[in-house]
Amino acid sequence: MSNESRNLDQLQRWMQTVISWPGGVEAGIDSEAAQSEIPLESSELETIVTASSRQTSLERMGIYANAYYARLLECLSEEYSALVSAMGKTAFGAFSMEYLQEYHPTSYTLCDLGAHFPQFLTEHKPPAEENELNWTDFLIEVATLERVYSEVFDGPGIEQETLLTAEVLNSIQPEEWPEVTLKMAPCFRLMQFQFPVHEFISHVRKGNSPQIPEQQLTCLAITRRNYVVRREVVSQAEYLLLSKLQQGLNVGDAITCLAESDLMEPEELGTKLHKWFKHWTTAAFFIDVSKQ
Amino acid sequence: MLKPRLGHENLGLGVGLRTVHFHHILEHQPEVDWFEIISENFMDSAGRPRHVLEQIADRYPIVMHGVSLSIGSTDPLNREYLKKLKTLAESINARWISDHVCWTGVAGRNTHDLLPIPYNENTLTHLVKRIRIVQDILERPLILENPSSYLEFQDSTMSESEFVCRMAEEADCGLLLDVNNVYVSSVNHEFDPVKYIEMIPAERVVQCHLAGHTNCGTHLIDTHNGQVIDPVWNLFQLMHQRTEGVATLLEWDADIPPFPVVHEEVLKARKYMDENLPVRDQASKEKTVTSPSSTAIPHPASFIVAEVE
Repeated sequence: MSNESRNLDQLQRWMQTVISWPGGVEAGIDSEAAQSEIPLESSELETIVTASSRQTSLERMGIYANAYYARLLECLSEEYSALVSAMGKTAFGAFSMEYLQEYHPTSYTLCDLGAHFPQFLTEHKPPAEENELNWTDFLIEVATLERVYSEVFDGPGIEQETLLTAEVLNSIQPEEWPEVTLKMAPCFRLMQFQFPVHEFISHVRKGNSPQIPEQQLTCLAITRRNYVVRREVVSQAEYLLLSKLQQGLNVGDAITCLAESDLMEPEELGTKLHKWFKHWTTAAFFIDVSKQ
Repeated sequence: MLKPRLGHENLGLGVGLRTVHFHHILEHQPEVDWFEIISENFMDSAGRPRHVLEQIADRYPIVMHGVSLSIGSTDPLNREYLKKLKTLAESINARWISDHVCWTGVAGRNTHDLLPIPYNENTLTHLVKRIRIVQDILERPLILENPSSYLEFQDSTMSESEFVCRMAEEADCGLLLDVNNVYVSSVNHEFDPVKYIEMIPAERVVQCHLAGHTNCGTHLIDTHNGQVIDPVWNLFQLMHQRTEGVATLLEWDADIPPFPVVHEEVLKARKYMDENLPVRDQASKEKTVTSPSSTAIPHPASFIVAEVE
């Protein structure tokens, strides 16, 4: 095959395979995937890539191969800094290598690079641990919350929206409230964890090296105000009520679900509801109401 | 006859917009001539990055610089990406849109690296055809940058400078001449960087890039992590003499210092714009790193971390 007539597509597929091969350039050249594009012994690499007076063709390919994982690992480490702290750099690097092979980067933006990392960790959870909570579950939860933070931070928000006002809420007659449905803010997320991962992440982001926390059921309401992600701990009762409202149930049905849950005494519920709705409105968890 | 810079304005001395400097820029409104953004960091943003960009675009001229166009790839062009690029350019009144003479991935993948192509007639035809399509979609000339590269192909039948010149003429596009990249590649591939600069059609150069790099002993890596070294300034001076001045920008992407330090670095360019200045001695030293593989990552690598309270 003459130099110029070698198919560019073949060459690119071959090069991409070789530089992203986890075992290095020589192993990449020997791989079936690379061989199917350009059959080649690594000793023959100079027929594709020229050498310089100071570097062999193998060393020159190695620059791209080293950079491939280093660059992507750097980006993943920035997004999942708490996970790096929890796992340790070595383990995080090893998991990242596997992740990048299983979920090849395909997007034009690095924001999407780590999108599947929590899912990847879940898929690779050791089977023996399925029925008990342990360190692996903690890691999955840390990754999940860090990814949610990224999505809320740069996703649609409410900064340009007209927020609910007291006037609007006051215009709803008491007898109308049970039929009212609430529209949640697009940046609102409701999460439940088995560990207080939010505290762990905050400590890491402040530059500390926190211990792995004890198991503790943790419900979080996450939103974004003034372009900064905010998270607050909510009770299980609040979580249940908010989740029903998020599902589209009207206020009356959502409260009924909560009342039937045994999470609160009826008299306590009555005193809490007004306070909760007032706070949730102020915090802009909701951005609109509709009367059915 | 072509107008200088393809008719684009000489914006002066600009700085690459990076998130670590957001607060400083908004608070101090520094006297910077213009900013360049990494397009992909803002195309889909509905959060603080986009909000900050809009405020900065109100005050400063903005140029969009992409890293994922993959103009040299054999994959189909990503039309959704191009549409978003155009929409962003219109919304922030971007003065022009640039990317690199490279490919970033194939078979649906993106390596997020600027990978080299062989320079020959076939690849030239391939690129020219794709540049024309992109320009039709964007409804404006595309400005393409010479990349830093670390290998060359046996399949090449012409030099990079010849390829870039012919590409620009045949596709009728503009050039972003990165003089640091010229220097890095000239050391890695043992060619004369002065001849490279002299060969470039001056009137097609719309913009210039400056940056620091890492000397790994046997090769240089374009790390964007420090000051511009004297040989690169000398190439800048030559470029300036040939073009009579184009929008010039400093890229600093790793170990990023406070904004005033970055700004001060690009302002050094003023010294080299005086054509009466003698070309400086090229014997200035740069540090050589002893274990480059652990630290030297060719750019781009830019991820925006979420802010959480």
